Amino acid sequence: MTSWSLIPQLLPSGITIGAIYALVALGFVTIIRASQIINFAQGEFVMLGGVITFFLLKGLNFPYPVAALVAIVIVMMVGFFLYVTVIYPLRKASILILLIATLGASIFLSNTSGLLFGTLPKALPPFSGERPLHIGGISIVPQSLWVLGTSFLLLFFLFFLSHRTLLGKAMEASSTDSLGADLLGISRNLMVFLAFGVSAGIGAIAGILITPIFFTSYNSGTLLGLKGFIAAVLGGWGKNSGAIIGGFVLGIVESLSIAFIPSGYKDGVAFAALLLILYLRPKGILGSPFIDSRRW
Amino acid sequence: MVDSNQKDFRKRDLFYVVPLWFLALIVPDADDLYSYRRKEFKKREIYYLGALFVLPLIWSDPHFHHLMVLAGIYAILALGLSLFLGYAGQISLGHAAFFGIGAYTTAILTTRYAFPTFVAFWASAVTAACAAYLIGKPILKLKGYFLALATLGFGEIFLVIIRESTGLTGGVIGIFGIPWFSIAGFPFDTYLKQYYLTWGVLLGLFLYSKNLVRSKMGRAFLTVAASEDAASTVGINAAKIKIGVFVIGAAFAGFAGSLFACIMSTANPEAFSLNLSILIVMMVILGGMGNLYGPIFGAILLTWLIDILGKYQTWSLPIYGVILILLLIFFPDGIGTRLGMRLIYLISYWKKKKRRDRGKL
Amino acid sequence: MSILIVEEITKEYDGLRALDRVSVKVEKGTIKGLIGPNGAGKSTLFHLISGIERPDSGTIYFKGKDITSLSSHEISSLGLSRTFQTVQTLENMTVVENIMVGMYLRLKGDFISSGLWFPWISRREKEALKEAKEILEFLGLLGRWKSPASQLPIGKQKLLELGRALALKPEFILLDEPASGLTPAEVEQLSERICELKKNGITFFIVEHLMGMVMEIADDVVVLDHGKLIAEGPPILVEKDPQVIAIYLKGKRGNA
Repeated sequence: MTSWSLIPQLLPSGITIGAIYALVALGFVTIIRASQIINFAQGEFVMLGGVITFFLLKGLNFPYPVAALVAIVIVMMVGFFLYVTVIYPLRKASILILLIATLGASIFLSNTSGLLFGTLPKALPPFSGERPLHIGGISIVPQSLWVLGTSFLLLFFLFFLSHRTLLGKAMEASSTDSLGADLLGISRNLMVFLAFGVSAGIGAIAGILITPIFFTSYNSGTLLGLKGFIAAVLGGWGKNSGAIIGGFVLGIVESLSIAFIPSGYKDGVAFAALLLILYLRPKGILGSPFIDSRRW
Repeated sequence: MVDSNQKDFRKRDLFYVVPLWFLALIVPDADDLYSYRRKEFKKREIYYLGALFVLPLIWSDPHFHHLMVLAGIYAILALGLSLFLGYAGQISLGHAAFFGIGAYTTAILTTRYAFPTFVAFWASAVTAACAAYLIGKPILKLKGYFLALATLGFGEIFLVIIRESTGLTGGVIGIFGIPWFSIAGFPFDTYLKQYYLTWGVLLGLFLYSKNLVRSKMGRAFLTVAASEDAASTVGINAAKIKIGVFVIGAAFAGFAGSLFACIMSTANPEAFSLNLSILIVMMVILGGMGNLYGPIFGAILLTWLIDILGKYQTWSLPIYGVILILLLIFFPDGIGTRLGMRLIYLISYWKKKKRRDRGKL
Repeated sequence: MSILIVEEITKEYDGLRALDRVSVKVEKGTIKGLIGPNGAGKSTLFHLISGIERPDSGTIYFKGKDITSLSSHEISSLGLSRTFQTVQTLENMTVVENIMVGMYLRLKGDFISSGLWFPWISRREKEALKEAKEILEFLGLLGRWKSPASQLPIGKQKLLELGRALALKPEFILLDEPASGLTPAEVEQLSERICELKKNGITFFIVEHLMGMVMEIADDVVVLDHGKLIAEGPPILVEKDPQVIAIYLKGKRGNA
């Protein structure tokens, strides 16, 4: 039995989670735009963002904003570390090997986090209070607005970075034509190194945003990473705008599906959507005819 | 100039060759790749067979037996996957799903419908093969990352379905009370008997694979991996080959799943997760792709590794992640192949040098 | 009747006409050359004939049969083989195995029977090995039959690809720039071998930039420019055709 009446209420949570998927997807796409590598440890950056902030806040009593900022920096360091220890040594290996290596890194990160910070789910205080706002008959938690706002801010930041700054253009250049970029003095390795840091930072921000609403525990990164990746594929491979669109579409579809199918199947919806899009339109919603197109 | 190089190499040679000659007795060599090698049974293979047969009798620790039984099951899984991954050059991150299909088929048939395990054994393989055919037809049109993702997606969907269909599969709890595997009334109820069962099945499947790989089909797999354009030029239907290998790999997994269900006596969803799919892929990669012994050695190696790590309880998983990465960095071709190729190169160089020194060249 | 008939073939890519109503006929047992400046559509025509791509309009007949909509492996099974501009050596196999791959259609076996290694399969495999070695001998590659194919220099790899096409026992072979990357001596040997194969009844359609080679061995030459057929005929006449000379002499952005 479908319950159409539930839809208006499900929409805000769908949009919220969609924004998170969009951020995770952005993290993936940042690395892909620099190097055609798929970083399966992306979800762990999100998890670490939330978990480390919690640790700094509750364990070391840092003030909330400081804890958040320090956590972001730490996770970026983790991103750099990941590049140096795993990606760089395997830079000449096949995509299969790289894929498995990032999966191995994901296993390492999630389990180490569980050991260092405990396996219980962590919650952070919302940024601006817990009282839901009532807009047009639906209640929205203020944190959701923070999530949305920050997502768009990051989107603009990335747009600015790739199109207006020299650094961004250098990154684009090195992925499109690494030999040419090399001849111009742009080191591909450096670009990918930076990309890992940036995408780790984005992931951490996403983690901090989401933990007040949905709890974060040591193993929530894996599923989140997978769904973020699905969002990236859904929206249009290798495009920032695709990541955003894909994230929201996935989040909304997933949330709305609860109205129609038993909730246990919710996680399966994302994967079903993946199979559908790969089969029907592998380039994604915004995709262009060329599978590795890297334009906006 | 040439002479001083030769001298240098001679000293280094000894350093390599002596221990490598020893390893040559036990490690499979990459010559197995070549399908014109007609000799079915080399001496080395007889040693392997003998060792396999005798090993559990010498070392009668039940824990060791249990470990080797598991290793045998994983070896069957890895062998099937290696045809798809190592020979045909495709990627599958959802292979655990076929393992699960096999296990659940046997579980359901034996507990609900009182099928004899022997029949369920074959039914499991057939079910897994059919599932592979249905999934494979649309999915195998994809390449590279997209194929990897699609297979991953399929694996996850399978898990979700298993968890939710509580009526059929017992949901998260799973199915209990699967009887021991038995053939004509002879039950395989001890680890020792199960050892011979699983490795016996592996042997049969290995022979099948070896024949397949040495024939025109094996060459077809390799051609599809190397260049689908070239394949189409010689009349190879790449799509058909890919689906066929996928189905075979799934059938192997089905057999493995059936044995697993009977040995564990239970079937539950957590055993068939993405982690297992990754583990099987690791066994194939680390053991050596394009090589039939590779996945078997990879399976044994990783099973032992996990067992050893299990003693370090809490830190086992992070260490596992690190070891995976390290092994990939240092052995991207797999342990089997690299040692083998290096060996062949060095030995043939050594032989040529000897002949040159004696003035024959 | 002609073994290959191409009728009014048109192919467009994103609005660019790669081939514009091209019609060609190739007679059995002859060598036909296909020349033209870069980007004229030569490789595209080969892709269409061999089935790797479909034309937007027009028909292709091989041995009287309409092959326009057939997939490339089906076309190969009819006896039409080809080589590629960027040589597709199967680097994961040895030299002899590269040849044996070509015999796929002629050997027995499938997923089940090969796995069970029935005696007739064993026998055919042994015969196949012998035959592959004979082909290698014909091409002068026998000495390295056990080496990994990736170890051959590029010129020999091109010969190897020809060998793979030959192993199919085809009636018609499309050669896409077989001489590129070869030394003059190797080009000479290649030409000799092609002529010898022609005597055995194999028809060739060759794309080549090396004018000397094409004009020497081809019975007939076809000239393409910007997707259109400009000239056709025996080499001596085509050589002197003013239109043909014009397209080769004009600059990069020449106009008609």
